Amino acid sequence: MRNVRALYFDGKSSEGHEVVIAGAVGADGRSALRVRGTGINLEWPLAGVRASDRVGSSRRYLYFPDGSQCETEDNDAVDGLFAEQGATAARLLHRWESGLGYAFAAVVITVAVGWAVIVWGIPALAKQVAFALPGATESLIGRDTLAALDRIVLTPSRLSPDRAEALRRLLAAMTAGIEGAAGYRLELRTGGRVGANAFALPAGIIIVTDELVALSKDDRELEAVLAHEIGHLRQRHVLRHILQDSATALLVAFTVGDLTSLTSLAAAAPTLVLQAKFSRDFEREADDFALDYLARRGIPPDLFAVILRRMEQRTATGKDGVDFLSTHPAIRERIERARGAR
Amino acid sequence: MNRAAETSQPAVSGAVALKFAGQTGEYFRIWIVNICLTVVTLGIYSAWAKVRRKRYFYGCTLLEGSAFEYTGNPVTILKGRLIVFAAFIAFSLLSEIHPAIQLVLFITFLGFLPWAILRALQFNARNSIHRNVRFGFNSTKREVGVLLLIPIFLVPLTLGLAYPYYLHRKRRFFLEHSTYGRTAFGFTASARDYYYAALKLSLAFVGFLIGSIATLGIGLIPLYVLLRAYAEATFADVAWRNTTLGDIRFACSWKAGELFVLYFVNALAVLVSVGLLVPWAAIRTARYKLERIVLQSEHGLGGFLAATQENVGAVGDEAGELLGFDFGL
Repeated sequence: MRNVRALYFDGKSSEGHEVVIAGAVGADGRSALRVRGTGINLEWPLAGVRASDRVGSSRRYLYFPDGSQCETEDNDAVDGLFAEQGATAARLLHRWESGLGYAFAAVVITVAVGWAVIVWGIPALAKQVAFALPGATESLIGRDTLAALDRIVLTPSRLSPDRAEALRRLLAAMTAGIEGAAGYRLELRTGGRVGANAFALPAGIIIVTDELVALSKDDRELEAVLAHEIGHLRQRHVLRHILQDSATALLVAFTVGDLTSLTSLAAAAPTLVLQAKFSRDFEREADDFALDYLARRGIPPDLFAVILRRMEQRTATGKDGVDFLSTHPAIRERIERARGAR
Repeated sequence: MNRAAETSQPAVSGAVALKFAGQTGEYFRIWIVNICLTVVTLGIYSAWAKVRRKRYFYGCTLLEGSAFEYTGNPVTILKGRLIVFAAFIAFSLLSEIHPAIQLVLFITFLGFLPWAILRALQFNARNSIHRNVRFGFNSTKREVGVLLLIPIFLVPLTLGLAYPYYLHRKRRFFLEHSTYGRTAFGFTASARDYYYAALKLSLAFVGFLIGSIATLGIGLIPLYVLLRAYAEATFADVAWRNTTLGDIRFACSWKAGELFVLYFVNALAVLVSVGLLVPWAAIRTARYKLERIVLQSEHGLGGFLAATQENVGAVGDEAGELLGFDFGL
């Protein structure tokens, strides 16, 4: 057992005194600590002295029963004084923090568990929450999103009232046979920058652009696209997406971030790759619903493949080279799935 | 200032800078074990992780050979977090029922705010120790409301013109109620000093606009980080230069350009390393900021007398963190 050089502070003033702490045997025969310095000669039973937990090589404190304390950088010597206490949780923690191998193990465990939480935990939770959210919230989000899209990119539809009415009747006929789809409604818009496209917003809003209507050669093609969007709505994909995205970003920033917001955000950026995976899963789910619907209605699934292909050819950005980073599954893969569904 | 009668140690006089002894490798291991346990316990360990992190940074911050000590109790912090979390859930759920409830909840929240801020400040102060003498924060809910919250509401009402005034108020409120032992901190800046700093900052803002346009938007993000760094350095200078503790004066010499490089390199490193360099960034940031804070004293740091204080819960601690009330380090 080594002597510990320390600074003694009596707790009454900030005056420090250089002392040496040594293990001793008290008058009652039990272990004790002796604190000696200029004008200081104290002895405490070891059982009455508490040492602060060791955190790296940062300063260590010994707390004495009368409120005075010692501060030292000699962590090993302090551990030596209290060696008879055995392996406490605090000591195990310090040992874990001491080895590079242990640190590597911590990285592996963190990545594995973190991955599981982000890939399975949060999506499962988001699904629960999305289905439990009150209708009022959902319609609020749906309405706000539509209003935002109208402001930024969409303009009113230029379809004839008859054509618009026919499409609305088509959706109504489709949803009549689907449970929980009664409130779904069609919003027609001119797509402009987004071109031939369809979106599903919370609260049962399906947006179809004039460009998409013009692109279709058969209303059954539109029916396939609508079925895909109904698939999104039934699974509350948009809500789940919002919930998952924000929960993941918050979680990462919270666990990793003991820094400024800028750096925390930089740390959360890699999870964007995971978000893309969620999007692809959602697209597949919606496709599955659409193909199932088409099969039940006796519509050849090829029609879905046909309209997807035409959408792809129209959009200059429809390249499918970057599968892992694309938010939609590579469109060719989806076309293949639609064709294989017959 | 109260001085102890006898001094058995030679008093150190002149200027002393804080020293930071944290090491990247060591902190990396503490950090990753913290995260690992937090993730495995689904967040519960985060309170312990926070205490461990704070104890490491406090324990590596040295002033005249003595470190700072953090004694926050993780269980208290966990309780505080759970309460804030529960309040947040209750707020989100209840506000869905009716818009009118939202207003009632907001007023309730405002009513609790002074209490939460006060508790956070007290918890942080009383769990900070140097040389076995505790820091303290002594105020009342009413004072928090009048001296701190009313200036906050003036900011939007004056379209931001009152913002320097609010910053001045905030720092002054914080310092004039903070103590080290029995000795009170003081603040000698006037609101005019803050308006002068803000004036310099608005000139820098004009430079930021011109620079962003001149580089066709490419320079927007770097220039914004530079602007933020400039604001941070400017206000830190005013704040520390006017801080007193007994006969001790402070100075802070952060440079906007150096902070900019620091933050920019940090963000790049963290991004490229998928977060693994966060500890490296945290250590070098702490080292830069702490070692440029200098204390000037004629009598040294030995003579401060301790005060007696009761314990304070951490309910306000988390709420306070969201609001960012501390020494600003």
